[in-house]
Amino acid sequence: MRSNKFGIRIAASALALAVSYGAQAAVTDQDIMNDENTPGDVVTYGMGLKGQRYSGLEKLNTDNVKYLQPVWAFSFGNEKMRGQEAQPMVKDGVMYVSASYSRVYAIDIKTGEEIWQYDARLPDGIMPCCDVVNRGVALYDDKVIFGTLDAKLVALNKDTGKPMWIKKVADYQAGYAITAAPMIVKGKVITGVSGGEFGIVGKVIAYDANTGEKVWMRPTVEGHMGYVYKDGKAIENGISGGKAGKTWPGDMWKNGGAATWLGGTYDADTDSIFFGTGNPAPWNSHLRPGDNLFSSSRLAIDPDDGSIKWHFQTTPHDGWDYDGVNELVSFDYKENGKTIKAAATADRNGFMYVLNRENGDFIRGFPFVDKITWATGLDPKTGRPIYSDAHRPGDPAAAEGNKGKKVMAQPAFLGGKNWMPVSYSKKTGLFYVPSNEWAMEIWNEPVSYKKGAAFLGAGFTIKPAHDDFIGVLRAMDPKTGKEVWRYENTAPLWGGVMTTAGNLVFTGTPEGYLKAFDAQTGKELYRFNTGSGVVGTPITWEMDGEQYVSVLSGWGGAVPLWGGEVAKVVKDFNQGGMVWTFKLPGDRVAAN
Amino acid sequence: MNTRFLIGGLLALGLVLCSAGVSAGEVRDGDDLLNRPADRTYDRIIESGYLKVGVYKDFPPYSFEQDGEPRGIDVELGKRIARELGVDFRVHWIVPDEALSDDLRNNVWKGHYLDKQRLADVMMRVPYDKAYAYKQDSTGEYVNEQVHMFGPYQRETWQIAYDPSQLDSVQTVAVFQYHPIGVEIDTLPDFYLTSGLRGRMRDQVRHYRDVEEAFNAMREGDVSAVMAMRSEIDFELGRPENRAFRLAETGFPGIGKQVWDVGMAVKNNHRQLGYALEGIVDKLVKTGEMDQLFAGLGLRYGVPDYYREFLKPEALARASGSD
Repeated sequence: MRSNKFGIRIAASALALAVSYGAQAAVTDQDIMNDENTPGDVVTYGMGLKGQRYSGLEKLNTDNVKYLQPVWAFSFGNEKMRGQEAQPMVKDGVMYVSASYSRVYAIDIKTGEEIWQYDARLPDGIMPCCDVVNRGVALYDDKVIFGTLDAKLVALNKDTGKPMWIKKVADYQAGYAITAAPMIVKGKVITGVSGGEFGIVGKVIAYDANTGEKVWMRPTVEGHMGYVYKDGKAIENGISGGKAGKTWPGDMWKNGGAATWLGGTYDADTDSIFFGTGNPAPWNSHLRPGDNLFSSSRLAIDPDDGSIKWHFQTTPHDGWDYDGVNELVSFDYKENGKTIKAAATADRNGFMYVLNRENGDFIRGFPFVDKITWATGLDPKTGRPIYSDAHRPGDPAAAEGNKGKKVMAQPAFLGGKNWMPVSYSKKTGLFYVPSNEWAMEIWNEPVSYKKGAAFLGAGFTIKPAHDDFIGVLRAMDPKTGKEVWRYENTAPLWGGVMTTAGNLVFTGTPEGYLKAFDAQTGKELYRFNTGSGVVGTPITWEMDGEQYVSVLSGWGGAVPLWGGEVAKVVKDFNQGGMVWTFKLPGDRVAAN
Repeated sequence: MNTRFLIGGLLALGLVLCSAGVSAGEVRDGDDLLNRPADRTYDRIIESGYLKVGVYKDFPPYSFEQDGEPRGIDVELGKRIARELGVDFRVHWIVPDEALSDDLRNNVWKGHYLDKQRLADVMMRVPYDKAYAYKQDSTGEYVNEQVHMFGPYQRETWQIAYDPSQLDSVQTVAVFQYHPIGVEIDTLPDFYLTSGLRGRMRDQVRHYRDVEEAFNAMREGDVSAVMAMRSEIDFELGRPENRAFRLAETGFPGIGKQVWDVGMAVKNNHRQLGYALEGIVDKLVKTGEMDQLFAGLGLRYGVPDYYREFLKPEALARASGSD
């Protein structure tokens, strides 16, 4: 708490809130499991554990969205800016939101005033692999839990912002970080890890949300032992994939990558956590013949002990940095009168996959981008890609001393879709996918050095696939693979999507706009410029009979880190750091 | 305790807290208000009385910490340079990023985005290679236009050490189709052995976090040999516990860069500092003092190729300590 005269006011207001909200404020497992059906709050990342990001609210709809107006804006302050990729949470009059550089804020949702702020103290010399973003917090009981750039989980008291427990998840000096929002399933807080290009091993770890004690740990690379923890003792719980060396050469599984950097979703019907995994290491695929499990995959994990129930690998033997981390969203659909328990994901590699979420079987897959060059298609039975060898980056060792041939691959490694979450509308039965159209050129770097030594590196550049747009918001039909509509955006899309029963699709653009579209037709119905690029994910909730929408504003993330021709499109966008909150005034609902 | 002592104690505490953002021994001289590094030209360095020398962290024998003190060849050279300039040596530790261009950006010309106020005045162990210095990106821009690379002071190369109790000799690398060899992960020896001979050595390559760990594994009998840079190998062989190990005499067919020169880098518009440092290092190389510096740490010294092109045989002999 600050020690100036304002500190007194802040303390007093925190106390007032503690009194007025304290009684009913604890977030329960029931609240979390039922989040998608309770429009008065948002207590999960994904607006429901399935990650559908669909709200049943329809006060705000295609007819009146033009009257949506800002009610307050909140600045994260400080000179720290860069990407604001979080999704806010709302519970009992308070918004909990994280910002870049591992910061967390509690805000009064009526007034936009700050209740408390927590700044994680990051160690000196930390070199996070993956920018300084944070994608959100988890709420449980009286705690606000989030992951930090130095790979810790921190549980804060929701009323005071004071730490209740802090746990080191992994060693930041070995290259680990956390940027994703943790998830809460049955009293456990579950997180993955981010990691650099080489040397780390992905894992999913569960902690007791109340105490911070470790419950289980599951490595996502074949050959590593998983554990459950009882009374402080680690008990072996089976090697991931059975044993080492089945799909990796030599000892390369020991440092196989497959970082679980984007967090997971949960499906109560099958009682499964779904986690995606990153690309295998090292980047040069010629050094590691084999499928390299479980890199670039989706895993179904038992929330009780961390066992792997099934896996589906989107890019076996990845050579393009096509992480398989993108969220797997559960949904049901009817076919021939039968309900299919499905789950869908739009992969970095440009294909969208519909899987049977009970066993991981491939149902169908289809491109959701205009062009894919690295594969000619998917095997209709297994979903395995049919590679186009001319588009696999060459072996730097084979072409040493010269540039070798340039290889063009599409999509670029930033993906047909990157981290930004899709939304599934229960009303239209469509997925709304924030995607990008870009290619990459890769060549072997003849002169390269690392840590004072000669080295073999690859050079690459990202090129927009079209002259006039990179981003495309698409409505995709998961039953047919058809694109129902598209909205093209000049800059790459980097923010998440939300849909509502009011037939609306919300997303943000790097140009600074929060936009709303007609979910059926794709017609743009609303835009508001927030002052900096929107790369966060919007939410909506209801308070005092009115419907609210909130989104973060603050340009950054991975796009501006990469140069080349994409930089030309985004170089003039200014940074920021705000939460914007909008509502539809009550009289505008009545007017309809 | 009297008041004066109490105040002194509080001041000391305050200083400790203020400098908490910097590793031990480093100076924080960036601009807090504008959140940027100080613009330390030659004159300002002389006036300030210290030189911040950028060296890699945990990288023996070049630069590392021992008993809380910076040590290693690059540290010794940095101290020597500072002395010649008439200023104090201040260490600036560099945590290596994925490639040299990242390290130059983070430590020489721009600063890392998490710590923008922190830059070295000069960075050591920067390869001196015109092809690298004038490398262009896909749009034709010079990748390293923000830095000036100069002052080659050592020629580095590759080396294998082996355990004679496991291998009779190492005449060619082909022996590592059959015997395990340790490498530091994500280095050229790693790529070379993993992809060389069409991948036939791949299954025998064991990956370690650093060269010291690879030598630990050799003492355990887990690997029969270790490949690394020559100075790294020399340093490990100088440890009593590694006395049994031998230098291999094998070549490295297929490696494009068999040898390379190592020098320094300053920010491009700090040329005056560069010229001053270049003069100092040039003298150290030519008089053979550089060789003595290496010999003092038990390392073989390689005179840079840069000098081999124009030094007369007797001058070259002096530089390489063999006169």
